[in-house]
Amino acid sequence: MRRFLPFIIIIVALLAALGGFLYFKSRATSSTSGVSSTTMPTPAPTAQAGQPQISTPPVVSTNEPGATPPHAIGPASAPVTLEEFGDFQCPPCGFLHPELKKIANTYGPKVRIIFREFPLTPSHPHALTAARAAEAAGMQGKFWEMHGMIFENQRTWHSAFDARPVFEEYARAIGLNIDRYKRDVASPAVAERIFLDQKRAHALNVTGTPTVFINGKEVPFDSLPAERLGSLIDAELARIGR
Amino acid sequence: MQNSPGSDVRTLQEIPGQSAAGPSPLIYGAMAFLSFIGLVDSIYLTVQHVTGQSVRCTIITGCSAVLSSPYATVAGQPLALIGAVAYFTVFSCAVLAAFGYKIAGKILAVIVGLMFLTTLWLLYLQAFVIKQFCQFCLVSAAVTILLTILVFIGWRRRSR
Repeated sequence: MRRFLPFIIIIVALLAALGGFLYFKSRATSSTSGVSSTTMPTPAPTAQAGQPQISTPPVVSTNEPGATPPHAIGPASAPVTLEEFGDFQCPPCGFLHPELKKIANTYGPKVRIIFREFPLTPSHPHALTAARAAEAAGMQGKFWEMHGMIFENQRTWHSAFDARPVFEEYARAIGLNIDRYKRDVASPAVAERIFLDQKRAHALNVTGTPTVFINGKEVPFDSLPAERLGSLIDAELARIGR
Repeated sequence: MQNSPGSDVRTLQEIPGQSAAGPSPLIYGAMAFLSFIGLVDSIYLTVQHVTGQSVRCTIITGCSAVLSSPYATVAGQPLALIGAVAYFTVFSCAVLAAFGYKIAGKILAVIVGLMFLTTLWLLYLQAFVIKQFCQFCLVSAAVTILLTILVFIGWRRRSR
């Protein structure tokens, strides 16, 4: 028996390693639906369109505030806050971008849209570079301009070997002081903002992108197209009585 | 059944190829334990890479920068996967060596030596090229450094 014992231990360790791999993998895939897929989901057909869909998920909160102040469109007093945790290189986030523009145009001051950095690395090698570029633009008050440029041209830089020159071009195009931009991209302040957003994401158990919360309630991935988001926001406004 | 010190010595001498002057089974057991920790760390990072999940880094800010750098992959394969294979090999060698397979102890020393050199290179990259540190990579580095120390202790015992 002793002769075979080391081989038994090795085989058990191998099985444990394979089991660990499958465990981590199933945990990673079950915690996020649709992450890193290449298209936005089609709205799930529902017989009760317009009915309050958002009352089911619980409100989640955390003491981690994220980067302060957050990048936001809409007043802080808006009755509905839509908070997105996004990755600039994630294709579904790119698809969500025009959907949120529609929401901002439709609801105006009733909805506050917040963008939080959640670069998914290492599977998206340019995600962190893009987040830094957007945050550096934010240092000059042009986060949303850079945010738009990056998402709208995602296919252009997605497979670039080095995305930094591309983002520098965008910085010039939106009128940033390029010397300051280059300094800010590598600054600890920018790294800190991304880190704080990631801490908030982890505290809220966000594991993939795009993850959207409406007044603290996580929106199912298949409800991210504008029409579905709109019905959720309407339901939330009705619930609040606005 | 009681186990006396005398019976321990006899058992050790009965193991083929094992000498009392070489590294003790305890050292090899510690190496197997450490390499298993390294294996779990590497498997976790490999899964994160394969599934495209964000790595949960809330202690040190640099994980994203390190794991998204070009150095995180070798010939298209995640470096973490190569690390997992290396740790499993070290684990297997340590178990075999603990049971008296001398050749396994020699292979283990060579692999740990290579891993130590790789670790120094990766630490250099984190410190001076990427200028960020990743906590999971530091755990792996610590495991490899401890393995190297144990190999060195074993070598000193053998050369006495």
